[in-house]
Amino acid sequence: MKSAATVQKKRSRRSLSKTDRFTLATFVGIPTLLQIILLWVPAVVTIILSFTYWNGIRLKDIQWAGIQNYKNIFVNNPLFYQALKNNAIWLAFFVLIATPLGILLAYQIDRGIKGHAFYESIYYLPVVLSLAVIGIIWNFMLQPGGFVQGLMGRDIGNAISIWGNPKINTWVILGIASWRHIGYIMLLYLSGLKSVDPALKEAAAIDGATDWEIFRKIILPTMKPVNIIIVVITLIESLRAFDLVYIIYGSPTIFPLLNLLVFQNFAGQGISMKGAAYAVILLLLCIVPIITYLRISFQEDIK
Amino acid sequence: MSTAVVQSAEYRNNQKRKDTFISIFIGIFAFVWIFPILWTVWTSLRPYNDIISYGIFSWPRRLTFDNYINAIREMKIGVYLLNSLLVTVPSVILTLFFGSLVAFVVTRYQYKFNLWILLLFTAGNMLPIVLTYIPVFWMFIWIGELFGNRNLLYNNYGGLILVHVGFQVGFATFVLSSYMKTIPKEISESATIDGANVFRHYWNVILPLLRPALAALSVLMTTWIYNEFFWALVLMSDDSKRPITSALRRLQGQYVTDFNLLAAGAIIAAAPTVIMFFVLRKQFIAGLTLGSTKG
Amino acid sequence: MSEEKNIVSRRSVLKGAAVGGAALAAGSSLSAGTASAATRLKGSTVKWTTRGGGATGDAIAKAVNDAFTKKTGAKVVAQQVNSDDFQNNFAQIMQGSPDDAFGWMAGYRSNHFGEMGLLADLTREIGRLKGSLPTAAIKGATSPVSKKPYIIPTTYYPWALHYRKSMVKEIGMNPEKIDTWDDFVKLMTLTQKKGLVGYSLGAKGGWEAMGTFDVLNARVNGYKYHIDLLNGRAKWTDARTKETFKYFAELIPFMNANVMDISWDGMRDLLLQKKTGAMLMGSWFANDFKAKSQADYDDLWVVPFPQINPKFGIDTIDAPLDGVSVAKNGKNVDGGKALAEFWASPEGIAQAVKAGDTNIYVSKSFDTSGYDSFNKQKLAVLAAAKNIMFFLDRDARGDFAGPIVGPAIQNFIKKPSDINKILENVQAQWDALPKQ
Repeated sequence: MKSAATVQKKRSRRSLSKTDRFTLATFVGIPTLLQIILLWVPAVVTIILSFTYWNGIRLKDIQWAGIQNYKNIFVNNPLFYQALKNNAIWLAFFVLIATPLGILLAYQIDRGIKGHAFYESIYYLPVVLSLAVIGIIWNFMLQPGGFVQGLMGRDIGNAISIWGNPKINTWVILGIASWRHIGYIMLLYLSGLKSVDPALKEAAAIDGATDWEIFRKIILPTMKPVNIIIVVITLIESLRAFDLVYIIYGSPTIFPLLNLLVFQNFAGQGISMKGAAYAVILLLLCIVPIITYLRISFQEDIK
Repeated sequence: MSTAVVQSAEYRNNQKRKDTFISIFIGIFAFVWIFPILWTVWTSLRPYNDIISYGIFSWPRRLTFDNYINAIREMKIGVYLLNSLLVTVPSVILTLFFGSLVAFVVTRYQYKFNLWILLLFTAGNMLPIVLTYIPVFWMFIWIGELFGNRNLLYNNYGGLILVHVGFQVGFATFVLSSYMKTIPKEISESATIDGANVFRHYWNVILPLLRPALAALSVLMTTWIYNEFFWALVLMSDDSKRPITSALRRLQGQYVTDFNLLAAGAIIAAAPTVIMFFVLRKQFIAGLTLGSTKG
Repeated sequence: MSEEKNIVSRRSVLKGAAVGGAALAAGSSLSAGTASAATRLKGSTVKWTTRGGGATGDAIAKAVNDAFTKKTGAKVVAQQVNSDDFQNNFAQIMQGSPDDAFGWMAGYRSNHFGEMGLLADLTREIGRLKGSLPTAAIKGATSPVSKKPYIIPTTYYPWALHYRKSMVKEIGMNPEKIDTWDDFVKLMTLTQKKGLVGYSLGAKGGWEAMGTFDVLNARVNGYKYHIDLLNGRAKWTDARTKETFKYFAELIPFMNANVMDISWDGMRDLLLQKKTGAMLMGSWFANDFKAKSQADYDDLWVVPFPQINPKFGIDTIDAPLDGVSVAKNGKNVDGGKALAEFWASPEGIAQAVKAGDTNIYVSKSFDTSGYDSFNKQKLAVLAAAKNIMFFLDRDARGDFAGPIVGPAIQNFIKKPSDINKILENVQAQWDALPKQ
């Protein structure tokens, strides 16, 4: 049996004609080339540029800077630390609050409460909206002259500061980002929950286990692969947080984030390669989640 | 035995009460959840003058679709929606096509580099945009100059499509390859034995089998690419060529005090993906499941 | 009008001829249209970008561009863009496929990008307009490094203290006489006592607060020190700079609570809704008052920011100079230059004004005799200053003003006690900047 299969395989490999090999090469080659040119080459260019001084316009103006840009960022720039803090808070919030809420929501909906398909859709709705739209929606809610201000009886003159108040704005922004993230996590988890054997749950329930114990001892372990994926997605989404804050503020000075700092420095009117350095720092932060994701997703293939 | 029965009856009653409580809670929570969207829709249906004269909480004297008509007329929303279409549809098709090609080679044929290609593609999908966007811009200009036309890629739908494809093809490849692994090897082997070359193998044998995955993925991809607004801001200098999501930036600045008009514009911009979500919900969820949970 | 007399008498203190600004003649001889290359351009297409401005901006552009088409036979394709996005992506847009001509700003933004080869040299066009453009304006549009102009100057406006005459009267002060620091503080104090905001500021955009800093620094330490500071010849950690921030800190208690939440339009709205005593801003927003109602517009008044140090009086003002630039990478540079020249010519200006442009033009042909009292006051405010600055983010290099000074001022407003640390930091970041 085995030899016949191997003979077949050998035959099929040997029977790959030149055209076939060319087709295969094109099939893989063109997309790979596209990827490399559009993603990896620019990434490397950015990394290299982070070690230079340049104003981004004339090639002849490039000067070697070594690690000066990095030094400048770490030593002289308080915005950088504010951004790191905000990115860290974003991450912690997503990991500790938003994602668990999504999981909790998924669990409750999965238990078959009435109208769960309807609720699924509602909770997921923010995810299908563009962040440009979300920015407008929440501006209507929160800006001076908006809904929340109106509720409190304040108009534009005495509106309380939301976007600008550093004590409040972090939580507001995280709230809006979570509004979206929770729905996303919920849906992911829901689909995973469907694969948990209901009989197991029933049995444990009859044995007197509380909901929490059922969740912890039966569901969580079964969902292990999904859990890990969700953690990684949470990490990556929080590091990539950019669109929402860009839409609300446009510039990174009030609520700095690493991506916004890149944008402010790498483009526009005051270009400096500090922007490239910020981008590289961001990349370094993303590498750990990315590698974790790769290892988990491909662990069978790697073996 | 009897204690178990008694326990389970008590348990079931408890559960019922808990369940009703939770249902109510989730129901209320859902309303709060969707309230901002409802408020925007509400704002879009009220005439501007009403709000100015009577405030935002006033009981409506009349509801109207005027804002929508004005939005389409004044804000040229039709043009922007068309742009979105012109960019999204080719991007999705190309992404799925390329993704399926790579997934096909990598799962159907044994090559040493298979794993590396998969790693490359999957990792590429997760790189932060800001890392690459300026060099991409330079590259587009430089390539354009090589061919004598700066607008070959920059400020050109083609360039924007290319960028979207580049960024999304990694996810498509990953998902399609996991899906393809579930297609039995025998099918491929019998195709080869029947004398099909690689192309026929792909086109006639594998591709039809991918339909469910492609359907699911296409819904997902369309949503993501349609919602994306950043690339067009960088790569399209002609405002009239931008997709609706990018144009919203300009409109938001221009109509900052005209809430109702802006609300109508936002709702119109959101409509395509929302409608698609409700109509194709199953595919949507399937796409997400394929992508994030394995098997 | 009696108000005019008062304006004149204030001016006589300082012999109005502004050195850095434009001397505006009230003559109305529109010089003959500058002869652009009319026949050469016939049939070609020129592309124009309007930076913001809404419906009025489009109307003005249409009027001027149509007149240009009539004159030269060249077609003009115009688009309006979001001003912030245009600025934020300026380097990319200029290197890509930009429109041929567009409204732009003098100072670093035209000098730097001109020297980098992205903006066209407009010496010839300015040469042809020499009759109608004051020397000071031409000087303001010329790069000090390459000695070439990359922008043709058209309009400017003062950054000054605005308030509503009715509100000042209500607190028992004379709206015609707010000219000392004590008057100013009194105005804010009394307004605040009534439960309103004393001094409105919206710093969300990062640049608005620079206006306050600019004028305070010029009042306390003089024009030369301010320019030196922005160019690294004076230090941010110097005691003199700290002195400026001491005055700035005095203003903070009078400010609105939501400073970081609103931008310049929020500031304007506060004044429009009679919720604030005073506001330092560029006068461009007056159109919005007029659009609301003539009564609101008539109630609006503007004076130079009051004197602090008698050595410097009120000799300096932020009066940003705007103009028209031509992109070197445009498809039709020749056409762009001609269009730019037309926009800045008396003919073009007349069209713009007719279509509703309320800006002050530097051109000598600009007729101000029909000006209403507010606009005449604007002129007086401008004329009262000897030295003209363009605003911090136009006078300082782009990678310093926006990313470094803007946030520093914002952080100061949030926590004034941190000022020493903040200034040390700004100086350190200046020192770390690469040579340009």
